[in-house]
Amino acid sequence: MSDLQLLLAHLVKLGLVALLGGMLVRGRVGLCWAFFFYVLAILVGNSLVTLAPQRFFNHSFWVLKQGVYDLLKMAVAIELAWRAFAAFPGAWRTARIVLLAIAATGSLSLAWLTPRSYQTLWEWQPGAVTATVWLLTATALLVVFYQVPIGNWQRAIMLGLAPYLLVFVTALSMLRRHGWAVRDGASLLDALAYLGVVLFWAWAAWRKDAPRLAEGREGSPA
Amino acid sequence: MLELVLSSVACAALCYTLGRYNRTLALQRWQFVLNAPEERALESLRRRVELDTALARQALDAAERARDARRPADAITVLRVALSLLEEAGADRLTRLRAMAVYSRMVRAIRPLPAPSPAPFRGTQLKAAAAVGGFFHGFLVGTQERFRLWLVLMGLGVRIVLRGGRQAVDGAIREPARPRPWAAFAAGLSDFEALDASHLAAFEALAASLAAVDRGGRLELWERIAGDSR
Repeated sequence: MSDLQLLLAHLVKLGLVALLGGMLVRGRVGLCWAFFFYVLAILVGNSLVTLAPQRFFNHSFWVLKQGVYDLLKMAVAIELAWRAFAAFPGAWRTARIVLLAIAATGSLSLAWLTPRSYQTLWEWQPGAVTATVWLLTATALLVVFYQVPIGNWQRAIMLGLAPYLLVFVTALSMLRRHGWAVRDGASLLDALAYLGVVLFWAWAAWRKDAPRLAEGREGSPA
Repeated sequence: MLELVLSSVACAALCYTLGRYNRTLALQRWQFVLNAPEERALESLRRRVELDTALARQALDAAERARDARRPADAITVLRVALSLLEEAGADRLTRLRAMAVYSRMVRAIRPLPAPSPAPFRGTQLKAAAAVGGFFHGFLVGTQERFRLWLVLMGLGVRIVLRGGRQAVDGAIREPARPRPWAAFAAGLSDFEALDASHLAAFEALAASLAAVDRGGRLELWERIAGDSR
């Protein structure tokens, strides 16, 4: 691990601590539990790699932690959709069908189009990440279509995660196309993007919200 | 490469939609569904609807009196006022119809409405539209689809009435003494009142259907969304 990579990893760690602090102080943990566990998993993975690189900075650990991250990212996308639509049976029925279709398409294409080998597990990454981006996008499109009022925090999670995942897929594509010769460049791109998104989330987590609406406030008829 | 293209498209769509997403506006649109009791919302809408048509009818009556008193300039001016009242009310109805179309997708089922019928209407185009709507109503199975057909028909009806009203006013301007444009405007106003009755019935059905859906859960969600901190 280069000095620059290490520095960026430490900065990301600081950002993650600030993010978790903001989520706890502002009471945002319960707004998306999967995201809380995702951030926690990232912090643990980051700490293990940076504090004990001789043991954890290797291919097998990378594959393991990416598998965990992928599962948690999908859980984030599904929980956000569930929280947005669960109270609206009509909209939730449509959302379920759309999300299931995306998840099924992603799973089938991954199962059929990628080699079945532990050593090539990282080749699953772009497909899994693409499916997650589409899950988030489907939720966003349905939110706008149904005019469902989602919170600023959920919006910030989606607006941060999707662009980062695009950068991640780009970095992976660079690696697949050009091989390990571009590893440092791809890694730097990924680390910088992740630092940016963590800082954005930390800012969104600490930001104060508008005061709660008064109970029983008068509503206009339409 | 395929993943990159798909991710780029998805990311662009997400950033565009959520970037333009206006939470305050969405909250305002939901306010009446989640906060105001249905009866109060319905009563408020009924009063507004009655006021709109009463004002337009009063303006039409005043215009006819001016015409009968051989004051054509005054008659046309007041008739234009009646048209502008109708246009304003029509814009309000169209906006609410669009909102109802959105909310109707939220519920599992909607209280059924009767099939559209040409009976309450006087205009030929409206009668024809209602008859066609009544025909297609029989082919639709779900109450939601039937409800949305009603909304489409009402939107079409409002547009037909407004267009007829404008044509009637133009005709009255050209020949103020000729009774036909005045009768056409009066018929249009009567059709607008019939459409308003359907509008209220649809709103009542939607409000009742939304109220039937886990109100406690919706209110809890509302508080969570509105407060955004729990």
